[in-house]
Amino acid sequence: MRISRRAFALAAAAVLALPLSACGSGGDDGGSTDASGKVEGDITFQTWNLRANFKSYFDGLVADFEKKYPGTHVKWIDQPAEGYADKISADAAGGTLPDVVNVSPDLVAPLAKAGLALDLDKAAATYRSEYLAGAWASHRIPGTSGTYAFPWYLNTGPLFYNKTLFKQAGLDPDQPPKTYDELFADALKMAHQSDGKVATLANVPTIEDFGRYGSQLMNKAGTGFAFNDTKGVELLTKYKELYDARALDPQALTATPESTGKKFLTGAVAMNPGSALDLDNFKKQAPNLYRNIGITDQITSTGHVNMYVMGVMVNSRTRHTAASVAFAHFVTDAQNQMSFAKKVAIFPSTAGSLDDPYFTKEDGTDETRVRIAAAKSLKNAVNYTPVLFSDQMKTALRNEVAKTLQGKESPRAALDNAVRACDRLLQQEG
Amino acid sequence: MADVSRVRRQLPTSPWLFAAPGLLVVGAFVLYPFVSTVVNSFTDRRTLIPGRFVGLANFRELIHDDMFWTGLRNSTLYIVGVVPALVVLPLLLALLVQKNIPGITFFRSAFYTPVVASVVVVGLVWVWLLDERGLVNSLLETVGIGRVGFLSDQWLLLLSAMAVTVWKGLGYYMIIYLAALANVPRELHEAAAVDGAGAVRRFLTVTVPAVRSTMVLVAALSSVAAFKTFSEVYLLAGPDGGPAGEDTTLVMLVQRTGTGLTGRVGYASALSVVVFVVTVALMLLVLRADRRERT
Repeated sequence: MRISRRAFALAAAAVLALPLSACGSGGDDGGSTDASGKVEGDITFQTWNLRANFKSYFDGLVADFEKKYPGTHVKWIDQPAEGYADKISADAAGGTLPDVVNVSPDLVAPLAKAGLALDLDKAAATYRSEYLAGAWASHRIPGTSGTYAFPWYLNTGPLFYNKTLFKQAGLDPDQPPKTYDELFADALKMAHQSDGKVATLANVPTIEDFGRYGSQLMNKAGTGFAFNDTKGVELLTKYKELYDARALDPQALTATPESTGKKFLTGAVAMNPGSALDLDNFKKQAPNLYRNIGITDQITSTGHVNMYVMGVMVNSRTRHTAASVAFAHFVTDAQNQMSFAKKVAIFPSTAGSLDDPYFTKEDGTDETRVRIAAAKSLKNAVNYTPVLFSDQMKTALRNEVAKTLQGKESPRAALDNAVRACDRLLQQEG
Repeated sequence: MADVSRVRRQLPTSPWLFAAPGLLVVGAFVLYPFVSTVVNSFTDRRTLIPGRFVGLANFRELIHDDMFWTGLRNSTLYIVGVVPALVVLPLLLALLVQKNIPGITFFRSAFYTPVVASVVVVGLVWVWLLDERGLVNSLLETVGIGRVGFLSDQWLLLLSAMAVTVWKGLGYYMIIYLAALANVPRELHEAAAVDGAGAVRRFLTVTVPAVRSTMVLVAALSSVAAFKTFSEVYLLAGPDGGPAGEDTTLVMLVQRTGTGLTGRVGYASALSVVVFVVTVALMLLVLRADRRERT
């Protein structure tokens, strides 16, 4: 039998296309929003860089859930921190998103808009009262009506400072700055005394900084950005002064959280934001710094410190909605959050948990002092990062801030441009 | 005889069957993504939202996008800075290590080591070296020059990234030149030496013409690689592409625009098509220049 060239080419094309078509969108063949059925079936749970340090905790958590709900099987997978958003987007686009996913509010927003996150106000409204109201609201998306993830752990942290560097600059190491004015004055003095060799800050202002300084960030309807207000311009003007005086590290324009952390460890920078987790790091990597570490509260003009929220989302296309919702709730319930908080310096988002003696009773150690102060401040903390503030918007803001610090644009022009760029992206993102 | 005719009857399909595994791989991992990219470039597709046809809107937008022109400028500057160095320096290095003298294998291996080293590790080492408080700045401060902002100044950052690219690529092109030099007839050098030509003259009149086609190959390969640079700039300048994104290359812009949950796949595809067209044009330009030289 002779095969014509055309037939062969068609067959080859079909062979090629078939496996590729499987790579396309997952389609709409997913489950329902009804979580009231029997809790059973095989589900997958994805965490964000937690296996290395907490394997035994999660193995135990999964075992407890499977014991509580016979007929369920949870496959736990963990993804590295680097490229986590890319991994989720590849899974979401490929239709292979796990049933239960560890997310932050800014990650859940595009997933919810694409219809991939289950609306918990419909599927799990009965659990709402178990969580702090602010934490539950952190996974609401402006422009939509639902809540798209269970709040999991919260985090916030103090400002660490190097007492030795403060002393050398003629500043009182026991009187760290409490207000922005004091911070800017101390930073300029530090730069002057060290002949520009020691900077006080190493990061350019981010959207959270503008929020903490009192800028409005977004309009009330959540349809446009507004951080080019008077407060925003004032903050950026101050940072320009710091940059010119080398009170803001010259490499701040290309800095990452890792690089600034390293600079603080090596004494190149005098102050750095952090969390209770960092104390252990200082102890191991910079014992000299640890002996001279100063700890003070986050500086804020609004009376509310910044907090970070982690969430657990349920894939709206899961085939086992009841099991997925039950597991997401199980991971984030008061008992399991409390048990996780005792393993690592994070804070539960469940109502009443922060009143536990673990978060209120001093034992004389720095770790406990930081933990108690953080737990106290979390009660009225705000997640300043707007959930609609995407990575592209962060880049747009950073680039405009950099132009101001380099003297290429005025603070007003830079923030106007940044707001315009972010608004355009907001519109494009739908 | 009967067996031979049976084999002949199978001939038209047999080559295709032998080629099928390779064709499938190329089709799946080269052709399909390429066609898909071209198709996407005419849509407003996002990571999680299927696009609709928008004609040439993405291409019109990139003409008005300042960051596109910044990327094009930096990628072009990269070619200008990197290609001449990668054509000439590996040839000189190959001449140095060509001779079979005791211990030369060590030097050949040493020069080749950066090629096999992970680009991330290499990038981190260079960041450490060029940091405000790094080894290079400490040395400069010791000799009284003072600190230089290798990683904070837009142009120095780009130059530093070029230096890393050249340093990392030297060994690879050196190996290509070593193979070419092995084919240069020794008699030509001997004849030139007898005629009184010194080392420099022999290099220019014997070695260079003999390895000319290899130099063209290296120029073509390195210019395409330079135009598509990503890792070195990303590692040294950070994900934003340096201060205010001024060191962004075109491929970095593709990555930044098209990835993540809110990635603009359609626009990033249009950028990719531009990168493809420019790289093909570069190859054609180099090959055409070579052909003109020959005739």
